[in-house]
Amino acid sequence: MNPRIILAIFIIPLGLIIAAVPQNKTKPYKLTAEQLLSEANTRSQYISPETVADMIVKNDPTLLLIDVRSQDEYEKFSLQGAMNIPITDLLAEQYVEILDQDTKMNVFYSNGTITANEAWMITRQLGYKNNYVLEGGLNYWFEVILNPTEPASTSSDEEFAKYDFRKAASSALGGSTTTIQPANTPLTNSPKPVIKTTPKKKKPAGGC
Amino acid sequence: MGPLAVNEIISENTNLFLAFIIGIGFGFVLEQSGFSSSRKLAGVFYGYDMVVLKVFFTGAITAMLGLLFFSLFGWVDLGLVYINPTYLSSAILGGVVMGAGFIMGGYCPGTSFCGASIGKVDGMVFIVGLFIGVAIFGGGYPIWEKLYWAQDLGSPKISKSLGLSDGVFALLLILVALAMFWVADWAEKKFPREEY
Amino acid sequence: MKPKKYLNPYLGGVLLGLVLLSANFISGRGLGASGAIKSCIVTATTIISPSSAQTSGFIKEYTEKHTGNPMKNWLVFEMLGVLVGGFLSGAIAGRLKFKVEHSPKITSRKRLIMALIGGVLFGWGSQLGRGCTSGSALSGMAVLSLGGFITMMAIFGTAFALAYFFRKNWI
Repeated sequence: MNPRIILAIFIIPLGLIIAAVPQNKTKPYKLTAEQLLSEANTRSQYISPETVADMIVKNDPTLLLIDVRSQDEYEKFSLQGAMNIPITDLLAEQYVEILDQDTKMNVFYSNGTITANEAWMITRQLGYKNNYVLEGGLNYWFEVILNPTEPASTSSDEEFAKYDFRKAASSALGGSTTTIQPANTPLTNSPKPVIKTTPKKKKPAGGC
Repeated sequence: MGPLAVNEIISENTNLFLAFIIGIGFGFVLEQSGFSSSRKLAGVFYGYDMVVLKVFFTGAITAMLGLLFFSLFGWVDLGLVYINPTYLSSAILGGVVMGAGFIMGGYCPGTSFCGASIGKVDGMVFIVGLFIGVAIFGGGYPIWEKLYWAQDLGSPKISKSLGLSDGVFALLLILVALAMFWVADWAEKKFPREEY
Repeated sequence: MKPKKYLNPYLGGVLLGLVLLSANFISGRGLGASGAIKSCIVTATTIISPSSAQTSGFIKEYTEKHTGNPMKNWLVFEMLGVLVGGFLSGAIAGRLKFKVEHSPKITSRKRLIMALIGGVLFGWGSQLGRGCTSGSALSGMAVLSLGGFITMMAIFGTAFALAYFFRKNWI
């Protein structure tokens, strides 16, 4: 048989199949379920409100707060300098550069932690680094930063230091209290996570 | 999963080693198909031997179909595969100059290496010419630098430019190629030549 | 020994396609040839005249994109493979022989001069066009690059248009 016809018999059906099926645009997951589970178990994605407050006060340029609630909620109240990526739009193409990078520390927050955690989990599975979740969400933020309660007089010094810091942060961030605190506010105990840089993301090279 | 090197499944050195193996496959297939002979290559422009057209298009279509199916099965992330950028004027002008070089020299760079490897002296001379040509381009770079970077279109896919899905474009290309093969087989019968 | 016949072109094409596919699957890139020559030129310039290498925009453009030794390059290794692969194939098929291939109507000398001119043009054009027949046209077509199709049509179109003037060289 003519080789041309043999070739045609093979490639025309393949061409028809490929023309008929929808294009695969899904992104493969980079992390296995086990890896993700172990990361979630260590709770390493959480970042305490004190750390975040400290970074906001210091205008840390590496911090990017991401509000994953709906646009309505975001417009009503948002943290200072936060941008809005509603969880429904998380995978939109325009946000890939923001979520998948290695120069900033992204902190997701929602009212509680559920939505922010969802966002973290999805982006983490895609292999993105440097995304974190605000511990306790906005609810906890209000409780500890904006309206800190004075610890009982029997509390340890550490508790008081924490309280002082929260008061200071609160005033800096426009909380309810008006007490002016001394300038040398103690630092938080929880260290700020290190930004992980991927060894220069390899771009496919090529050409002649 | 794929591309393996970009996803760092294999190391850089393994990648280079595999480049060597892929090169062996490339050279072997080219030589086996007759691409080491300049007169066979030039035949495509006179109709007496259409091997270039057949191998070239069958190869491009096979790889294209393979990539589309691999992507469909999730074996390769097409977003990570290199897509040649398009600079319109330099692509056209470069192509025109290469076309002139092709009909005069009878080889293209890949095939000249292939020809030289089995002792074709004209292939070796062609390679010398290639080196001179690249050096001239490098030496006079400021002269054509503007042209080199003009009309940057990014890295568009032809299917997107035509408003088709990749699959539909692939099917069209297959049909066009098969039509060309049919004409090629006819031309070979019309302008027959003995083996040389 | 009488040389063996060439492979059927369609079978050869499918095999070529599989090689190209594996290059894309393994390294995320297509095949190429002229880039290896560019690597050599860059290396040679850096060795012979380091001062001019630093001022050359051509080399600067190259070193911006590539790190490390320019000879430790994917395309250089691939082209070394091509030499080996071509030689193996020629040895198996009994085609190893030094000769200048040309039409009986022209002399070997003329053929070699034409080959040199063709090589110079192809070398220059491949740099301007960002790749030759393999790197830009063949590999570009496989990934559906617009530029690949444009370059392919420009190469073959021009060669076709000029074929009449050079017919004595070949038939």
